[in-house]
Amino acid sequence: MRVLLVEDSNELLALLKRGLAAGGFDADTVNTAADAAHALATMRYAVVVLDCGLPDDDGLSLLRDMRRRGDRTPVLVLTARDGVSDRVTSLRDGADDYMAKPFAMEELVARLHALLRRSDNMLGRRLTFGNVALDTEGRQVIIDDTVRTFPARETAVLEILLRRGGNVAPKRLFEDHLFGLSGKVGSNAVEVYVHRLRRLLADAGANVKIHTVRGVGYLMAEDKGG
Amino acid sequence: MTRFRSITSRVVALHVAAVGLTSILMPLALYWLINQAANSLHRDALLGQASTIAGFLRPQPDGRVALDIPAELLPLYSGGSGLYAYAVLDATGRVLFSSRSDGAALFTPKEAGSGDWVKRRRSTGSVLFGVNVARAVGQHLYRVQIAQDLSHSDVIIDDIVSSFFPRVAWITFPILLILLLIDILIFRRALDPVREASTTAAAIGPASPQVRLPEANMPTEIAPLVHAVNQALDRLEAGFRAQRDFTADMAHELRTPLTIIRARIDSLEPGSLRDALRSDLENMTHIVNQVLDIAELESFFVAADARADLLAICAEAVAFMAPLAVAQSKTIALGGSEAPVWVRGHTEALFRAVRNLVENAIRHAPTGGSIEVEVSEDGVVRVLDDGPGVPEAERASIFRRFWRRDRTQSDGRGLGLAIVARVAETHDGSITVDNRPTGGAAFVLRLRPAPALTAAN
Repeated sequence: MRVLLVEDSNELLALLKRGLAAGGFDADTVNTAADAAHALATMRYAVVVLDCGLPDDDGLSLLRDMRRRGDRTPVLVLTARDGVSDRVTSLRDGADDYMAKPFAMEELVARLHALLRRSDNMLGRRLTFGNVALDTEGRQVIIDDTVRTFPARETAVLEILLRRGGNVAPKRLFEDHLFGLSGKVGSNAVEVYVHRLRRLLADAGANVKIHTVRGVGYLMAEDKGG
Repeated sequence: MTRFRSITSRVVALHVAAVGLTSILMPLALYWLINQAANSLHRDALLGQASTIAGFLRPQPDGRVALDIPAELLPLYSGGSGLYAYAVLDATGRVLFSSRSDGAALFTPKEAGSGDWVKRRRSTGSVLFGVNVARAVGQHLYRVQIAQDLSHSDVIIDDIVSSFFPRVAWITFPILLILLLIDILIFRRALDPVREASTTAAAIGPASPQVRLPEANMPTEIAPLVHAVNQALDRLEAGFRAQRDFTADMAHELRTPLTIIRARIDSLEPGSLRDALRSDLENMTHIVNQVLDIAELESFFVAADARADLLAICAEAVAFMAPLAVAQSKTIALGGSEAPVWVRGHTEALFRAVRNLVENAIRHAPTGGSIEVEVSEDGVVRVLDDGPGVPEAERASIFRRFWRRDRTQSDGRGLGLAIVARVAETHDGSITVDNRPTGGAAFVLRLRPAPALTAAN
C-alpha cells in the first residue's frame, strides 16, 4: 500500500516511515508542498498523510488544490496547531481525517486502515476489536476463531460499534442504520438490540463489553476482568 | 463645552444666539436707515417749501418786506388744517410774518441755531418737523421757518416708517429661522461620512481587528484624525497577529519534538520501560496542550455573532471523554435538555471548557463512581461527580493556574480548571463550584443564551 508522507521534519519522516512500514505501508517521503504536488502528479497513492505546517506553503492549500483538481485520494492531516481557533478548518477544507501531534504510531496506522476501508474497501472486509471480528460481506461474527451468525439487527449494531472501535457511537447512528428514515423508532428500541447483542457476546465468550453512555450513545471497550 | 458635546449642537446653539441677536439688531438698523431716509425726504420737501415762501417775499420801497402768498396756496398754510406752518423773521429775530394765530415764531432762535432743521415733540404727542432757511431779499437777510406736524393725516412718510416694525420687521425672524434649518441640514450632510465612520468603528472589536474606518469621503478637517485612528488599528492588529503567530509557532516548536519522542518510544521493544515512558510523555503532552490552550485563550475573543449548540458540545465532550471514564470503570452520562441549547459562544472553546470539567470530574470520581453532565435550556451546564467534593476554602482558588491542593503531588493537571475559567470569562459567563447534598462536587458553567435561528442551520 503506497502512502505519501508530507512532513517538514526529516527526523520525524524517518520514524514515521519505519512505523508505517511495520503497519504494512510503503511510504514515499517529501518535505515540502512543492515536492508533494510533484509526487502526486507522477504517482498514484492510496492515501496521503499531510502535515499542515510546511515551510514553503501551508499544507492546507495543497489539500485545497488537490480537491479543486478533483483528486479524491484520502488525506489524513497532521497538525501541531490544534488550537482553539483552528481545529475544524482542515476537515472543512476536504481532509478525510485529522490527527493532532503528538500521536501514537498505532493510532496513525489504525486511522489509515479505517480511511482506506471507508474510501475503497481496499483493505480486507474484516472489522476487529478485542477477540471479536466481523466479516462485513458475509455478515459473520468471529469470536476467538469460532464463526457465528447473529440476527441481522444485532449484527448491524455490532458493525457500528466495531467501526467506531473504542470510541462512542452516537445513538442517532444506530437509529438511522437500524430503522432507516421511514421507520418509527421506539424510545428504547436501540437499547433492546444492544441488550440482546450484549447477551450474545457474553454467551460467545467475547472479551469486549458494550457500555451505555446515557444521553449520548454506546461505546465498545475491552473488558478487563469481568 | 460640556453642555454641547456634538458639533451640530454647538453650531446650532451659536447659530440660535446669532439669530436672536440679528433679529433684534437688523430691524433696528433697518428702522434707523429708513428713518434717516424719511427725514431727508422731509427736509428736502420742507426746504422746497421754504424756497417757495422766500419767493413770495417782496421788497417794499420803504425798505421793508411784504409776504405775498397767492390766494390758492393759502389753505396750505392755514393754522388749523394746513399741511405747513411758516414764519418769517428778520436778522434780529423779530417775527415779521407767521401762519400761527398768535403770530409767534415756529422755533426759538436757540432751536433754530443748532442746524438748518429741527424736530420737536409737542406736548400733545405729535411731532413737529421743521427747517430754518436764511434768504437775502434786497439788502436784508431774512429767516424763513417752515414746519410740518407729522401727525397730520396727509403726511404719510413717517406712517410708513412707524408701520415698518409691526408689518415688515417680523419677516427677518422667520427668514433667519429658515436659514438656521438649512444650515443644520448642510451640517448634517457634511458630517455624514463621520457618522458612517462611527458606525464602522462601533463594529470593530478584538474578533474583527481587520476593519478600518473609511477615509474616502471624509472632510479634510477630520481626515487626519481618521487616518491616525486607522494607523493605530494597524498597530493593534499587528500586535494581535504577533501574539497569535507566537502561539502557533510555540505549538509547532513544542509538539514536533514531542511527536518525534513519541514515535521513538513507539518503536521500542514492548516492556515496562516503554509503558513508563509513554505515560510520562502523555503527562508532558497534556501539560503542553494545556499551556498552549491557556496561551491562546489569552488573546482569544468571541465574535459578537458567534453562537453554539451547548447540547451538541456537551454530547461531543462526553463522547470524547467516555473511553477514559470506562477505562477507569466509571460511568458517564449526559442529561437535561433534549433540544439544542443555543448560547453565545465559540464552539471549540466551549468544547474545551466542558471537556476539562468532565476530565476533572472523572479524576475525582471514585472507581465505580459516576459523572453526570446536565445541560439546561437557559445555557447552564452542570458537571456532577460523586467524589469528595471541594472544601469551601478552596472553591475560589481551584480556578487559578497551576493550583494544587497538595504541593508535593505533581500530576500536572493544574491548568484544566483555569482554562474553564478563562473560557467562561471570554464568554461573559461564569464558573462556580458547589458541593452536592450527597457529597460530590457540582461545577456550574453559566453562559449567555442566544436566540435560536429561525432557519435550519
